[in-house]
Amino acid sequence: MNPRTRHALEFVLDNLVWFMLVFVLVVFSIFIPNYFQLGIFANIIEASSVLGVMSIGLALVIIAGHMDLSVESVAALSAMVVGILFCSSGIGLGIQLHPEWLMVPVSLLLALAVGGLIGAFNGLLVVKVKMSAFIITLASYIWVRGLVLVISGGRSAQDLAPSIRWFGIQRLIGLPLTAWIAIACFVVFSLIMAKTPFGRHLVMIGGNETATFRAGIRVNRNLIIAFILAGAIAGLAGWLLAIRTSGATANLGVGLLFNAFAAVVIGGVSLKGGVGTLPGVYAGVLLLSAINTAINLMGLPANFTQVIHGLLVLAAVLLDAFKQTIRQRLA
Amino acid sequence: MSEPLLVLDNVTKNYGAIEALKGISFSIGKGEVVALLGDNGAGKSTLVKIISGGLEPTSGRMLFEGKEFLARSPAEAKAAGIETVYQDLSLCTNVDVVANFFMGREITRKVLGIPVLDERAMEVVVGKALANAGTRIPSLRTNVEHLSGGQRQAIELNRFVHWGGKLVLLDEPFAALGVEQTRRGLDMIRQVASQGIGVVIITHIMQQAFQVADRIVVIRQGVVAGDVARNKTSPDAVINMITGETLAGAGPTG
Repeated sequence: MNPRTRHALEFVLDNLVWFMLVFVLVVFSIFIPNYFQLGIFANIIEASSVLGVMSIGLALVIIAGHMDLSVESVAALSAMVVGILFCSSGIGLGIQLHPEWLMVPVSLLLALAVGGLIGAFNGLLVVKVKMSAFIITLASYIWVRGLVLVISGGRSAQDLAPSIRWFGIQRLIGLPLTAWIAIACFVVFSLIMAKTPFGRHLVMIGGNETATFRAGIRVNRNLIIAFILAGAIAGLAGWLLAIRTSGATANLGVGLLFNAFAAVVIGGVSLKGGVGTLPGVYAGVLLLSAINTAINLMGLPANFTQVIHGLLVLAAVLLDAFKQTIRQRLA
Repeated sequence: MSEPLLVLDNVTKNYGAIEALKGISFSIGKGEVVALLGDNGAGKSTLVKIISGGLEPTSGRMLFEGKEFLARSPAEAKAAGIETVYQDLSLCTNVDVVANFFMGREITRKVLGIPVLDERAMEVVVGKALANAGTRIPSLRTNVEHLSGGQRQAIELNRFVHWGGKLVLLDEPFAALGVEQTRRGLDMIRQVASQGIGVVIITHIMQQAFQVADRIVVIRQGVVAGDVARNKTSPDAVINMITGETLAGAGPTG
């Protein structure tokens, strides 16, 4: 095989999920009436913002060779904290700050802090007590959701303060600001992972933790930061979720974890760690969202979505194995 | 012997009730190559890990450049100037040659106050280092998982030659190398030592030890069973020290 075809093939393998996304969009546009509209595409991006943000945090820890199952519950807790403080009906306390815009940074910082704290808790246990991240974050997934139920009493908060809601309503080039926040997160974290020593170290830790430790990289510190980031990003996802639903319910975001997992795996992140990029994850999120939209447009019962997502994850894992074989042939 | 670089004084290591090291004392001079020999399970790798910060000794002390020394982590040992090449390679196969070469010491430039990897500068350095050592690797941007065992070991060896430091520990560095690459590896060791860097090499191959070392230290059952200059002993005598049948004329024990 000459080097040129080899490079081309490697490029396709590295960006396979983007090709899949384009393929799916083209097929849907041809076969589903009314699919090919700017409004539909804007909707695909908009609908994927919460899931997208959450997937970033999950992808970070998985790339570093660990796992965070708690992101969904952490997002729900952050949303509930924001909802209780800044909603005016239901269980909302309707706290007002003056000037009104002050509520935006305050609510955002609270959401990030709640997420970051739980992330730090997870990270410390994983690194210091050397317990499996799977078990620790599974426990967090359960107790944090429990905490949401406790502080809400199972009830909901509605009517989020308008100055915070503004982010979900105000549009810029056809997309609400919440979608831009998600896109900005992907850009920032993609750069961090690809261009900074911290990102490089996370990838290497995911590849061979012993080697990085021997090389003098502060593995524990990096891992704790990754968990804190995953938590804080989940907190941001919760903030966006609260804006989108203008409040919070006790079962807010249930099932998001599995979609985030699907997006991360479809996006080319290996559960073994050390492999995957954030742009790929974003393509995975968009792919899921594009398929959801197609299901809606075709008038299929929404219940089909879950079946299709499940099959997609299976397909992604099979594809991952297939890519490995091709790469070995290439080498 | 030139002035001592690292002195080990009665270093012990227990794993629970098992005494892996029962009190090791020897020293390494600047620019000196010491071959550490011993049967499987004699405690060689444990000793290397203690010097390189991977394990803490149970008791005893070490002097590095005349000062009390104890590395609590590989990072501390590195900061002090101790480089280690491990038996099981310490490469991240999921990233490319350049990333492995600079693992933990990446060249960065500041963009808006944020450290950003300077890939081009790093690639130039790696290209030069590999070319100097005569190692051929098709592309520095290939992930290490696609390279052969020999190429991987060559990266490790070039890495220690490049970073140098003051003391280099090599734990069976030539296990995956061919004849020609081994010869080149041994040359590298002499070259590194001639710069005044102390070298400790663990090996099972007597011939290699006699080819490269100034001094041979034999460890048996957690104690130093022999510490002799190379030109004052013979492979047979060393083998007897390793197996425990010390003969007269094998040199002073200690």
